[in-house]
Amino acid sequence: MQSPETILELQHIYKSFDDFVALDNINIKLDQGKFYSFLGPSGSGKTTVLRIVAGLILADRGKVLFDGQDISKLPAEKRKVNTVFQNYALFPHLNVFDNVAFGLRLKRMPQDELQERVMQALKTIQLNGYEDRMISELSGGQQQRVAIARAIVNEPRLLLLDESLSALDQKLRQQMQYELRSLQQRLGITFLFVTHDQEEALAMSDEIIVMNEGRIQQSGTPVDIYDEPINHFVANFIGESNIVPGTMIRDYEVEFVGKRFECADAGMRDHEPVEVVLRPEDITVTTPNQGKLVVSVDSQLFRGDHFEITSHDEDGNEWLIHATNSIEDRDKVGLSFSPNALHVMRFGEKEADFDRRLSEYEGDES
Amino acid sequence: MTEKHTWIGKLYLAFAFAILYMPIFYLVFYSFNSGKNMSGFKGFTWSHYQTLFADSRLIIIVLQTFLVAILSALIATIVGSLGALGIYQVRRRHTRNLLLSLNNILMVSPDVIIGASFLILFTAMGIALGFGSVLASHIAFSIPIVVLLVLPRLQEMDYAMIDAARDLGANSWQILSRVILPFILPSVFSGYFMAFTYSLDDFAVTFFVTGNGFATLSVEIYSRARQGINLEINALSALMFLFSIILIVGYYLLNQYTQSRRQRRQKDGVYLK
Repeated sequence: MQSPETILELQHIYKSFDDFVALDNINIKLDQGKFYSFLGPSGSGKTTVLRIVAGLILADRGKVLFDGQDISKLPAEKRKVNTVFQNYALFPHLNVFDNVAFGLRLKRMPQDELQERVMQALKTIQLNGYEDRMISELSGGQQQRVAIARAIVNEPRLLLLDESLSALDQKLRQQMQYELRSLQQRLGITFLFVTHDQEEALAMSDEIIVMNEGRIQQSGTPVDIYDEPINHFVANFIGESNIVPGTMIRDYEVEFVGKRFECADAGMRDHEPVEVVLRPEDITVTTPNQGKLVVSVDSQLFRGDHFEITSHDEDGNEWLIHATNSIEDRDKVGLSFSPNALHVMRFGEKEADFDRRLSEYEGDES
Repeated sequence: MTEKHTWIGKLYLAFAFAILYMPIFYLVFYSFNSGKNMSGFKGFTWSHYQTLFADSRLIIIVLQTFLVAILSALIATIVGSLGALGIYQVRRRHTRNLLLSLNNILMVSPDVIIGASFLILFTAMGIALGFGSVLASHIAFSIPIVVLLVLPRLQEMDYAMIDAARDLGANSWQILSRVILPFILPSVFSGYFMAFTYSLDDFAVTFFVTGNGFATLSVEIYSRARQGINLEINALSALMFLFSIILIVGYYLLNQYTQSRRQRRQKDGVYLK
């Protein structure tokens, strides 16, 4: 059964390149009008997913459903999706107008309608007045916009973006994040954005799909993924974190570094070995008496909006802290955190089980 | 670099160019000689140019030479560009390198051997020597040149451009005609002109495969020179030298024009951040 809002569905997608398994059973449903990000390190298979959706490569096994129709074997030129490529892949022999008009000309659109659509697209990306420029005469940010215009002028219902911001400098990248997000909301089409930059994904997405080694690790809203990572990889890849081994004593009580702490997690076996995540910004620095942990400071780096402090406790566990002020007395410092700040992860838990457990026990808590 | 060194450098450069250009200027100079040969300037005259233009046999040969050059370069450019595309498409590295090496061997093998082998081939196949045989052999030795000029440009091309064209709905023919060809066009043109000049230049291969009643300029000049230097040849050489200079200057001006236009547009542009 296909819900009416589902625009794209991938079912059991497998892909190998020679001996290398790029995708290992990918299943995902994308709803219409949302901003999705595939997030993962290089080699995680995220770009392969995008190329399979675009039709530039075919999956070894599995189905690609677009609007409920099986398009697994349909070549790229016949698919109703468009892509913004990593290095833009603009046509250097054509000017801005002709680049944007490329897709429409192939569809043999009448001249006046074509003219209007191209101008509209250029206006959308704020490059009106640039139609006669050659691509080599544009800055990186402008080329980026032309690449977007060239894709959206075809009015695809699904727009794919392959690491589209990674070639831009920091400032421009942040500006484009805002623009992409607002563009997606104005156009109301589905965006599938591929990136290795977690900040980008967190800032723009309705939903993030975290990938590693050809598998989907976790999918969910940016807040869910940040606050409740499913495993060590996700916790480590997204944001910075302190991850320590521990034991779940009973529901809402976890033991690590030899001490027992109240926590917000439940639904595990008693005395089950687990990993505990504590985000550096959730740690408050206090006096040794008031602290739940006592550490000594190793180094402090000023990062502009915060200090990044590394420290270690008596057992040699390292603790990363983000604090607004630097620490004067470096020998003995107390660390405090609320029970909610602790996030407990089971080893090898499947995403479905994870989601079920969370929904059962989160109800409890409130 | 000291003052003295740059001075020596300039002198050396002037000397080198003088050596290179002296024989040509010597030839051109004597084309205006009213005497019978190049052993002393007797006075100024246009008469050799007059006899040149009156020599209908030589005019026809000039036209034939250009015809062979234009046609052979054209066909070689088409075949060579397609060949480069073919080699570019080969995925396996060993096969690609093998094809490229086979291409390069033709480039470096001596003209005499190529000419002789064509002669053997044409006579074995019973093909009459003349315009056809000259044209065919010129096409054959021009193709590797075109391949060698077009292939690097293809390899420079961002493959993502082809993906982008497919993504926008282009089929194979549209990708070729609207993306690949426009991109490699500059190198296709240089391939054409290189093939053109090689064909104009060629003596050794043509000498083998030309028959009675058909000659190109280089063969004709060679056979005339054997009967003693005629100042009509000087006049012809001077005209051809002039022709080359016009080509080079034209090319230079065209380059200047497109470059200055680009710079002007860049300066006019108001850039967004």
